[in-house]
Amino acid sequence: MEELKKLAKELLENKTVAAVIGYQQVDDKRTKPIIVTTPEDASKLVFNEYCLNNLAVYLTKARIKNLAKQNGTTLKLGIVAKPCDIHAIVALIQESQLKREDVYIIGMNCHGVVKDYGMDFSGETLATKCTPCDSHKPLYSDSNLGEVKDTPKVSDEVLEKIQAVEKMSHKERFEYFKKEFDKCIKCYACRAACPLCYCQRCITDKTVPRWVESSPHSRGNFSWNVVRAFHLSGRCIGCGECERACPMDIPLSLLNRRMTETAKQAFAYVSGRSLDTPTLVGSYDVKDSDELFM
Amino acid sequence: MKIGVFICHCGENIGRTVDCPRVSKACQWLPGVEVSLDYKYMCSDPGQNMIKDEIRKKKLDAIVVGSCSPHMHEKTFRKAAVDAGINPFLVEIANLREHCSWVHDDIDAATDKAIDLVRMAVEKVKRNQPLTTIEVPVTKRTLVIGGGIAGIQAALDVANAGYEVVLVEKEPSIGGHMSQLSETFPTLDCSQCILTPRMVEVYQHPKIKLMTYSEVEKVEGFIGNFTVTIRKKARHIDESKCTGCGLCTTKCPVKKKAFNSFEENLAYRPAVYVPFPQAVPNIPVIDETVCTYYKTGKCQMCVKVCGREAISFDQQDTLVTEEIGAIIVATGYKLYNIEKKPEGSMIKGYGEYGYGKYKDVVDGLQFERIASASGPTSGEFKRPSDGKEPKKIVFIQCVGSRDDSKGFSYCSKICCMYTAKHAMLYKHKVHDGEAYVFYMDIRSGGKMYEEFVRRAIEEDGVKYIRGRVSKITEKNGKYIVKGEDTLASMPIEIDADMVVLATAMIAQTEASELAQTIGIPYDKYGFYNEAHPKLRPIESTTGGVFLAGACQSPKDIPESVAMASAAAAKAMVLFGSDKLEREPVVAKVNELFCAGCFLCKKVCPYGAVEVKEMKDRNGVVYKEIAYVNEGLCQGCGTCTASCPSKSIELAGFNNEEVFAQIAAL
Ligand SMILES: Cc1cc2nc3c(=O)[nH]c(=O)nc-3n(C[C@H](O)[C@H](O)[C@H](O)COP(=O)(O)OP(=O)(O)OC[C@H]3O[C@@H](n4cnc5c(N)ncnc54)[C@H](O)[C@@H]3O)c2cc1C
Ligand code: SF4
Ligand code: SF4
Ligand code: SF4
Ligand code: SF4
Ligand code: SF4
Repeated sequence: MEELKKLAKELLENKTVAAVIGYQQVDDKRTKPIIVTTPEDASKLVFNEYCLNNLAVYLTKARIKNLAKQNGTTLKLGIVAKPCDIHAIVALIQESQLKREDVYIIGMNCHGVVKDYGMDFSGETLATKCTPCDSHKPLYSDSNLGEVKDTPKVSDEVLEKIQAVEKMSHKERFEYFKKEFDKCIKCYACRAACPLCYCQRCITDKTVPRWVESSPHSRGNFSWNVVRAFHLSGRCIGCGECERACPMDIPLSLLNRRMTETAKQAFAYVSGRSLDTPTLVGSYDVKDSDELFM
Repeated sequence: MKIGVFICHCGENIGRTVDCPRVSKACQWLPGVEVSLDYKYMCSDPGQNMIKDEIRKKKLDAIVVGSCSPHMHEKTFRKAAVDAGINPFLVEIANLREHCSWVHDDIDAATDKAIDLVRMAVEKVKRNQPLTTIEVPVTKRTLVIGGGIAGIQAALDVANAGYEVVLVEKEPSIGGHMSQLSETFPTLDCSQCILTPRMVEVYQHPKIKLMTYSEVEKVEGFIGNFTVTIRKKARHIDESKCTGCGLCTTKCPVKKKAFNSFEENLAYRPAVYVPFPQAVPNIPVIDETVCTYYKTGKCQMCVKVCGREAISFDQQDTLVTEEIGAIIVATGYKLYNIEKKPEGSMIKGYGEYGYGKYKDVVDGLQFERIASASGPTSGEFKRPSDGKEPKKIVFIQCVGSRDDSKGFSYCSKICCMYTAKHAMLYKHKVHDGEAYVFYMDIRSGGKMYEEFVRRAIEEDGVKYIRGRVSKITEKNGKYIVKGEDTLASMPIEIDADMVVLATAMIAQTEASELAQTIGIPYDKYGFYNEAHPKLRPIESTTGGVFLAGACQSPKDIPESVAMASAAAAKAMVLFGSDKLEREPVVAKVNELFCAGCFLCKKVCPYGAVEVKEMKDRNGVVYKEIAYVNEGLCQGCGTCTASCPSKSIELAGFNNEEVFAQIAAL
C-alpha cells in the first residue's frame, strides 16, 4: 500500500501524470473512487479486496480526459487497475478510445474482490466475476504492485446459471427473461457503469427515428436489454459492473457471459487480452466459422 | 408537401395481376398525396409528359411512380422530374412488377399489396432530402495488367486514342500464350508473325509505359482516381545499358538446371535468359535460383562477356507508384496440369492418362511447341521420349473440362478447335501418319470454325471417335489407349506413338489474390466476374475496372481481342469527361455523435472510411471521428448497420426514411 502512495506521489510530482484515478477507503469494508490531482492527496490511495469499481470507465469521460490537458500539452492519466480492469483499458485502446501512451497503468496483483461492500472477504463472498478469472497479474502495466496471493476456489455460479437457463424450453426461457427484463426501470445505470458503453449518444437516445422503445413495456425492455447485450458481445470484458450497478438486480452477467463464451468457442477470442490482435467485431478471417450465421 | 402518385400498367405486365385504377384511386386519399393517376405506359413519352404536366400544374414537391424495378426506369422518371423542376432524389419507385405482379396471381391480394408498396414509398418520399450528384475528377491514364494478346490490344487501342497507358506484365516479356502457339485456327496463319508486330508497336509507342517482370502490389482509390503500387522485380540487368546482344545468355555455363517454361519444359534454358528470341523487351533476366554466382559467389561469366557492364548482381526490387483512372485486367489463363492434383482443389486429376509419367503424353501447349518452327524440334514432329517421328497420335478432348467429378464443369471452348488444328498440322507434315481424336461433342460455333473442323475430317482424314478414354498404358514404346466408341457402341483400343491431351483452360495462378488486391469478384474457378452476364460483360462490378481476354472465361484469340478493344472503349468513355458524376447515395457521419470507435472503418469493404481530426477554435484536436470519402463510398450500407450508436447513415436511405417506410406497412 505504501509503495502505491509513494509511486502516485512521484508520478504527480514529476508531472508524468495529471491525475491518478484510484480508490479511497470509506470504512473498513468499503472504498470509493477518487481522482487524485495533487501529490499531497496521493496518501489517500488504497488497494484491497474492497476495490470493486472498474475505474477504466472514467477514462472514457470527457471531463476526466480534459484533466490531462494542461497548458497546451497532454499529460498521462494514471490509473490504479486490477488485471480485469486492464482488460477494459486494452479494449478501449483497441477501439481507438485511448492511446496506450495516454495512460499510466498502475497494475495491481489481485486475488479477487468481494461481491459487495460490507462483506468479509472469503470464498463465499468472492465476486462471481473472480471465479473464472485467469489473470491475477496484469497483462499490461507501467508499474506492477501488490502481493501475489491465492484466490479462494469456488464454483462458477454464473456458468452454472447459464447452463440451467439453457436447459429450459424456449418458452420457459422467454418467460424467465421476460420476468427479469420487466423489472428494468430504464435507469441506464448498466450503461453508465460499463467502460465499453462509451458512445457519445447511445442508440436508445436516438429519437429520430426511435430504435429502442423507451416505454416500460416488455417490448421496450426486451429491446434495450437485448441491444445492450448485442452491442457488448465480443467486447464485454466481464468486469460485472453493469450487473452490480443495476438497482433492479437483473442478471445481466448471464447474457454477457454467454456471449463471451460463444466468442471464445467460435473464434478463440476473448476481449481485452491483447493490444496486437484486431477486435473480434470488425475483423474477418477466411477461416472463421460460419456456424453462427443463421 | 404535395406528392404525385403515378401508377403504370406496364402494358399487361402489371395490369394483368394488379388492378391499377384501384391502386391509383386508393392512393388518392393517402396523406400528402395531391394527385394519383394511372396510365398504360408511364415510361412512354405521353406517360412522362403526364408526370411533367402534373408536377407543373399541381406544383408537386415529390413523386412516387408505381412501375417496374428502379433498375429499369428510375433514371427515366428522375429525368422527367428534373425537367419539371424537382430534385431527382425526390422521386421514389414502388416496384409493382418484379416485387408484385410477376410473383403473384391473386388479383385482389396483389392489388392490396401494390397499395401497401405505394403507401410505403409515399411515406419515404415525404422524408427524402434533395441530394446533389457528386463530382470526382478523372485521371486519364490506364493501367493494363497482363501483356498477352488481350492486354496488348487494349493498351494499343487506348494509347492510339491519345491516353497514357502503363502495361504491367509479370513475365520478362509480353506476348502471353499466343507467342507460344505455332499456327492459329481457323486460318492457320503463323501466330508469332501476326503477334510480334503488335509487341514491337507496344514497345515503341510513346504513350505506353511498359513494365515487364513486374507485378501489381497494391491498388488504392476509386474509379478515375486509383493509386497503384507496382513491384518491378530485379532483373539483375541494367535495362538502360543492355543492348540485347544476347552474349551473356549464350556464354552462361548453366545449361541443364532450369526448364524452359516458354518451351513448356521440353527444353532447358541458361540462368541468364530471354524467354524467346522475339521477346519484347529483348533484355535478359538472371534467375537467382539457378545462377552459379548466387549459389557459390563465383562465375560471373556474364559480367566478363558483357561489353556494356549491364550485369548488376546487387540490383533490388523497386516499388513504383502510378496515378491511374481506369484498370484493364487481362491476365489470361493457364492449363490444368493434370499431373498433380492441386492442393485443396476440387479437381481430382487424371492419373490414368499418365501425364507426367509417360514422356509422350503431352498437353496442348507442349504440342504447339513441338509443331512450332521455332520450337525445340524446329517444327519437326518428334516425340519427347526418343525423338522419333510419331506415326500414330491420339488426341483426347475435354480432359478436365465438362467433367464434374474430376475437373471443371465448364467447357473450355477452344479445345475442339485447337485439337482439329493440331491434327491437321500433323497430317500436313506427316502424310502417312494417323490422327485419332476422342471427343464428347464437337463445338465449333464461330465464323469459319465448323468448316475448319470439317476440313480436318474430310480433307485431312483425321479420324474422330465419339467417346471417352478410360486408361492409357505403356507397352514396348507404344501407348495403349483404351476407350469406347459410343456411336458404334464398341470398346476401342489404339496403340499410339504419342498422346495429346486437350486439358482444361483454368484461371491463372494467384488469380484470386490479384482479384483481392484490385477488389473485384471472381467465380468459384477463379475467373473474374463481369457486372452483368449479358448487358455488362466487359465491366467488373468495381467502377473503373474492366476485363479483357481469357481471365474472364476461356476464350480464343478473336474473342480476346474483341473484348480488349471493348475494354479500351470503356476506359475511353470514362475519359470522355473531366469529371465523373456519382450517385450521392453515400454514407455520412454525424460528427456530433460519432464516438470514433472506427468499427465502420474496419468493416467498410471499399476502404471509404477515413479518420478525421476534430479541432477546437485553437486548432487543438479534441477528438478523432470517422469521415466518409464520397468518391470511394459505394453506398453499400455496411457501416450504417454496424455503427452501435447509429451515427453514420446512408444519404437517400437514412434511418428516418427507412423506418417511415416500414412503419407504413
Ligand atoms: C493449346 C492451345 C492452342 C491454342 N490455339 C489457338 C488458336 O489457334 N487460335 C486462337 O484463336 N486461340 C488459340 N488458343 C487460345 C489463346 O491462347 C488465347 O485465346 C489467348 O492467348 C488469350 O489471350 P489473353 O491475353 O487473354 O491471355 P494470355 O495469353 O494468357 O496472356 C496473359 C498475360 O498476362 C500475364 N499475367 C498473368 N498474371 C499476371 C499478373 N498478376 N500480373 C501481370 N501480368 C500477368 C501473363 O504472363 C500473360 O503474359 C489456344 C490455346 C491453347 C491452350
Ligand atoms: S457489459 Fe458489464 S461486464 Fe461487460 S464490460 Fe460492460 S460493465 Fe463490464
Ligand atoms: S448500449 Fe450500445 S449504443 Fe448504447 S452506449 Fe452501449 S454500446 Fe453504445
Ligand atoms: S441498470 Fe438495470 S434497470 Fe437500469 S437500465 Fe440497466 S438493466 Fe435496466
Ligand atoms: S461506427 Fe459509428 S461511432 Fe464508430 S466511428 Fe463509425 S460512425 Fe463513429
Ligand atoms: S456505405 Fe459501404 S462503402 Fe460507404 S462508407 Fe459505408 S461501408 Fe463503406
